[in-house]
Amino acid sequence: MTVSEDTTAIVARMRRASEKPWRRALVSFAYAVVPVVAFVLIWEWAATTWPSLFFPPPSRIWDAGVELFFSGPPETLFLTPAVTVDIAGTVSRALLGFALGSIVGIIAGTVIGRSIIIRDLTSPIVEFLRSIPATATLPLFIIILGGEDGMRLAFISYTVMWFVLINTAAGVSTIHGTVLDMCKTFRVPVLKVFFEVMLPAALPKIFAGLRIAITVALLAAIVSELMLASNGIGYRLVIAQTQFRMGDLWAWMVVLALVGFVFNTVMEAVERRVLAWDRLARVGG
Amino acid sequence: MAVATRDQPKVDARPEPRPRRPRVAPAQTRGRRLILGLVGMLILVAILEIVSRLGIVNEKFLPPFSSVVVAMVGLFGDPVFLVDVWSTIASWFFGITLSICIAVPLGVALGLSNVGYRASRSLIELIRPMPPVALIPLVILVLGQGLEMKLVIAVYAAIWPILFNTIYGVHGTDPKAKEMGKSFGLTPFAVTRRIVVPSAGPMIATGVRISSSIVLIVIITVELIAGGTTGLGAFIGRMRGLGDQVELVYAGILVAGLLGLAVNLLLGWLERRYFSWSRTRGGA
Repeated sequence: MTVSEDTTAIVARMRRASEKPWRRALVSFAYAVVPVVAFVLIWEWAATTWPSLFFPPPSRIWDAGVELFFSGPPETLFLTPAVTVDIAGTVSRALLGFALGSIVGIIAGTVIGRSIIIRDLTSPIVEFLRSIPATATLPLFIIILGGEDGMRLAFISYTVMWFVLINTAAGVSTIHGTVLDMCKTFRVPVLKVFFEVMLPAALPKIFAGLRIAITVALLAAIVSELMLASNGIGYRLVIAQTQFRMGDLWAWMVVLALVGFVFNTVMEAVERRVLAWDRLARVGG
Repeated sequence: MAVATRDQPKVDARPEPRPRRPRVAPAQTRGRRLILGLVGMLILVAILEIVSRLGIVNEKFLPPFSSVVVAMVGLFGDPVFLVDVWSTIASWFFGITLSICIAVPLGVALGLSNVGYRASRSLIELIRPMPPVALIPLVILVLGQGLEMKLVIAVYAAIWPILFNTIYGVHGTDPKAKEMGKSFGLTPFAVTRRIVVPSAGPMIATGVRISSSIVLIVIITVELIAGGTTGLGAFIGRMRGLGDQVELVYAGILVAGLLGLAVNLLLGWLERRYFSWSRTRGGA
């Protein structure tokens, strides 16, 4: 997916480079903004022309959102508990679960990717466990760990782990045997080999897994809150639904889309920075 | 840590994984893998059984594996459970079919029209990051708790991989092939149908394979959360609610895993069967 994305992006950039720079910027800007504005305006017009209980106009969603998020006291910079408790809670749980799951996934993936015996021993188990739709295991996490945040973190980490594990194993197993033999010959310490040879070499693959994992972490966080929670964006969605507050419901959905957008954007920026050395290799191959 | 890699990324960080071949004959390797795989599973099952029987882990949390298997076998004689499983399978089938019917034509249109692609991109980038499960509360209010609700959410989640892969596949069509079609007198529609779509086929198939797992996950999630619906997810949720039926929760999850495995194997097989020709080109 990324390979063709890069290729098409490069072709488009080359074509655009032949145009005048200010014109190019203007055209990109128009392509990015006009459709979104048009979409919002059409929605506003349609929702006021044919009023629907379920699809309020964007202006009402905006009002509901301002009331929900920015009507707090001055000492919290006008932020309401909806921001400082619910959004912060969901985001922190998703990020913490993402971090934990990724660390476990990278370590387990390295072991599985490097040792043929362990790989052969575990491959049917891994294959089966990762085929289980992760959310189906949520009731089990609730039975074993109860309804607290620990359960949610464990569930998010578990869900995230598989994507990182599989990609790490694939990345690590492509390392040339000669390189590792050389490390052995020069008696490089195991930890050093892990951090300075294996990890960098597998990094492009690992990041492919991490990119999926960050999206999945947010999804798992929301699922765990929809199911059983006392705060968080998922919990607020359920409350807005049961109280039939459609403006609030939409405002929370917009916030969730924004959180997901920020997660993706930050992840891509990190990847671009960390993998700067690999960009050319990937586009060329 | 970047210092070590900068000198040798070309050799070590190949984007495409190439499985390392151990120096053993292929048939022997396959047998070895099979045996080791079985041994691995047996070890795990034995550990689960022993840990539970000896009371190292409370039986309320981890029932012996054997009783889970017995419970699972018993479930296949339970008509209510079979209705649940069938409902999930049917929803999956409708979900993936609908997703294909929506995403492939849309992807071809956007892939052919540069203006359409650039214009839709910012909208898509804004809508896509929202986790599909966030739609559950709204869609329940609008559509109730039936099949339509499941399908709307599953399709929302599943169209993206197909859509993007279709767009990239269409973008990647060899322009010379299209020009050749045109000079042989094919209409633009015929060029699309006979040259563009087949050449994007392998990419589309990859998208469909990814989406088919997503549809299953989303459907089971929705069943679990929405409550009141039938389906495997609803079954697992009900069994948790009973409190004393942990074996059945485990059994339900095992069946979900079997379904997931079946979907993966089926779609992987279909892809290999119909698009193996593209492997040699190194596409996707």
